[in-house]
Amino acid sequence: MSELYLFARIAETSVAIRTEEVEAVVRLSELSPVPGVSGHVAGLSALRSRVLTIIDATALILGTAPATIDADAGASYAIVCDISGHSYGILVDGVDDIRTVHTAALPICGRVSDAWEPYAHGVIEDEGQSYFILSLSSFLDQSVAAQAA
Amino acid sequence: MDELLSEFVAETQESLEALANVVVALEVDPSDRKLLDELFRFFHTVKGSCGFLNLPRFEKLSHAAEDVLSEIRAGDATPDAATITAVLAVMDRIAELCEAVAIGEALPDGNDSQLIETLRHCYRMAGAMPAEDEGQPDSTDTNVAAPEEGSSAPEQNEKASRGATTSRTIRLPLSLIDQLMNGVSDMVLARNELSRKLRTSDASPELETAFERLSACIADMRDTISKTRMQRVDRLFMAIPRMVRDLGRELGKSIELKLEGGDVEMDREMVEMVVDPLTHIVRNSIDHGIEAPADRIAAGKPEGGTLCVSARQSGSQIVIEVTDDGRGINVEAIANKVVSAGIMTAQDVAKLSETAKLDLIFTPGLSTAHEVTAISGRGVGMDIVRANIERIGGVISLSNDPGNGLTITMRVPLTLTIIPGLLLKAGGLNFAIPRSAIIEILHDNNPTVSVNRLAGALTATIRGVRYSMIDLENVIGLPFVEQIGARTLMLVRSSSGKPYILGVSQVENHEELVIRPAAPMVMAAGIYAGMTLPDNGQPMLLLDAGGIAQTAQLPLVVEDVEASEAAAKEQAARQYYTGLRFTELTGEERVIRLSLVERVEDIAIDAFGKTAGRTHAMIEGKLIPCLRDVDVEGLKAQGAHEVTCMRLRDDRRELCYPVRHVVDIDEVPTELDLSAAYDVVAGVVLLNDVHIEVIDGFALFASALDVVEQTDMRRARCVIADADDSWNREILAPLLMQAGYQVAWGNTENSVGGDDVVLITSDSSPEDSSPEIASASRAAVIRLRNSSDPASPDDSSIYRYDRARLLEAISQAGEMQADEARSVA
Repeated sequence: MSELYLFARIAETSVAIRTEEVEAVVRLSELSPVPGVSGHVAGLSALRSRVLTIIDATALILGTAPATIDADAGASYAIVCDISGHSYGILVDGVDDIRTVHTAALPICGRVSDAWEPYAHGVIEDEGQSYFILSLSSFLDQSVAAQAA
Repeated sequence: MDELLSEFVAETQESLEALANVVVALEVDPSDRKLLDELFRFFHTVKGSCGFLNLPRFEKLSHAAEDVLSEIRAGDATPDAATITAVLAVMDRIAELCEAVAIGEALPDGNDSQLIETLRHCYRMAGAMPAEDEGQPDSTDTNVAAPEEGSSAPEQNEKASRGATTSRTIRLPLSLIDQLMNGVSDMVLARNELSRKLRTSDASPELETAFERLSACIADMRDTISKTRMQRVDRLFMAIPRMVRDLGRELGKSIELKLEGGDVEMDREMVEMVVDPLTHIVRNSIDHGIEAPADRIAAGKPEGGTLCVSARQSGSQIVIEVTDDGRGINVEAIANKVVSAGIMTAQDVAKLSETAKLDLIFTPGLSTAHEVTAISGRGVGMDIVRANIERIGGVISLSNDPGNGLTITMRVPLTLTIIPGLLLKAGGLNFAIPRSAIIEILHDNNPTVSVNRLAGALTATIRGVRYSMIDLENVIGLPFVEQIGARTLMLVRSSSGKPYILGVSQVENHEELVIRPAAPMVMAAGIYAGMTLPDNGQPMLLLDAGGIAQTAQLPLVVEDVEASEAAAKEQAARQYYTGLRFTELTGEERVIRLSLVERVEDIAIDAFGKTAGRTHAMIEGKLIPCLRDVDVEGLKAQGAHEVTCMRLRDDRRELCYPVRHVVDIDEVPTELDLSAAYDVVAGVVLLNDVHIEVIDGFALFASALDVVEQTDMRRARCVIADADDSWNREILAPLLMQAGYQVAWGNTENSVGGDDVVLITSDSSPEDSSPEIASASRAAVIRLRNSSDPASPDDSSIYRYDRARLLEAISQAGEMQADEARSVA
């Protein structure tokens, strides 16, 4: 069982995302804020003629204030995905690599912190390091749920 | 029907092309059951559809081929080459016929039965002979070849002529069209970026020209691609006949359905958005609008109801109308329901206009009340229908003819995805709003607008009409950005029907916007309707006018509109009245309510006369009291011949008010600037910065009170007993006549009626004449005496020169008589 994963960092946690869910990784330069909407929606960004709804992953998971995009720093990466007809950009701390992992997903050992609890689906190990498996669609479901709460 | 036919032709041609390979493969391996099955299915489908479409030649051909193939299948036999060739010939003939149908020509001549015969013959031959026998089929092969070639020649002719006459269609997956659409959008954005770059650099004219050409091409392309999204309204109507039939049968109603305008085209997405509301409306019409046959006959209508659904294009809108000839909406029942549901008070409902009452069926909350449907007809979920229509930028309206039917009109934009929008700025951010939601745009420094803040609530009054107001910054939680110049107020439609004012920094631009749905977490805020990427390439949110009102919890109660409008009108009317400004004969300028003045006319100076200190004028043969003295001699000396008079009238009397001249008609404030009542003047107002005395209408008529009221005929008649007495004749009778009484004489033939008052002068022998008069009737008797003092304490007679007591006594007696007469009657 081997699968291609995108390795990224969210809230200082290493995560692995199945590449089937990922359309692209882009560098964001400009964000139009969306006022009146809960904090993890960082804003809107144009990707050619598409409009991406940018979700700040750290803000969603940890419930902190959303990051502001600093055009000069220019180091804001977003994972672009298409979920139920809407295009999203998920703002991550950094993107490391795309690799094929040959081992199967493993159940989580140890107690996951409350913030991460809703996203816990398993871990994979690669090159001696563990990665938290993040499913983007459930991640976004959580985003809507977090808002409803 | 046309659409079905062309679809059939397109499908058949498509399958024919695909089957060409199948037949070839079957020839190579006649035992391949899969290929045989495929071929069989084709003929089966064609047979099925053409029976339905009334194409007998297609049917015969496909039927024959199907028969043969099914027998082969059933017999587990393998078709020989001759049979397959014959099948191919049938297929070719079908293709040929298809072409003809597609271009709308007469079907080409050709002997179908010969083809069929050949096919059957081939099959029989094959059946009669074992398949291994290779020698025999040769003859049949040539037999078949002839018709096959014959059929291919006309086909080629047609192919040559086809290009000019047919418009062929292809079918594409929707995703491909959407992709194409996105590609064009990208192109537009790239063009815009290029245009910005060109503007900043010094581009040469040639470059500009080339760019212009590119722009025009892209615009054309965008238009064309937009057309691929269009769909005939037929699609929308497709489900209706079935629904009408089913519901009609279920409810025992016979309904004639008329569908009009199915060829109008509208956006595919729009069609999908309108399906539900339309279904709902049609359902309501059948369920509640059209009566049961018995009721219809009782109402003098044809037994079967008529339902007409029509669509037409009107500018950039599609108008969809649903008309039934049912019972219409019982407006009162709806109003009662609203009251009993506690949504509005009876007083508020009573204030509403008929149209506003009709609109009550859109009141949310009525939807759950099932009684309404039983009593009155509609009301189920109409609020949702309206909300759905308004969400797509449409408008729904009703035209009710109680007892005769109802027409519901939906106006929806042609396309959902491109709407005219306004770009605006608030809190330093850009937003878009559909232009259809905006009624009016004003600056807050406009003199017709006043904004009040009461306990945090903003109210804006525009030309006397009050609206709820909210600043967009407050709704979305942004700080106000300091700005130079006035803020902009937009009068916006809300879903509840009452408009409200949305305050923004400024409205910047107007643009055709491509709207995309926003992500669920953005929509959850309730104030956005979607997002858009305007030409500047910066993503923007589209505001939802109705949602903002709901989120801000603006008190948008429908009744307020009518009530406050009426109140405003009333108030305006109360503040001012129309007054007539005039100059008195003595020179003062005064004003009088115009409504008191019946007319103004010039009256000849000789018509005025003065008696007992009172002036009167003779007008049209009547003497009318004058309210002012007219110095006849003085005016004559000045050479005047006429006096201008205002003729005043209350409900009973007429007065004449001579003036020097009438000045003008003015709007006079109701409130006096100085209240100082004397004589007939009520006070002073300022009119055009001149202080003018206001005539007090009440005092005016009161001052003329003791003038004899000619219009009021006294009931009582005075009968003077002794007609021969000269005092009676010369003094008493004129007094009575002047007081308005009819006078009769006791010694004439006049009979004394019950209403009469008899006057007897005591000195003239009381015994001889009066007793019989008095006894002759129940008439009241008043005795007059000559001496001022009564003769004895029980003397009830009246001193004959005590005018006041005499008149009082007569009037009292008259009233008593009248009362008696009434009680007797």
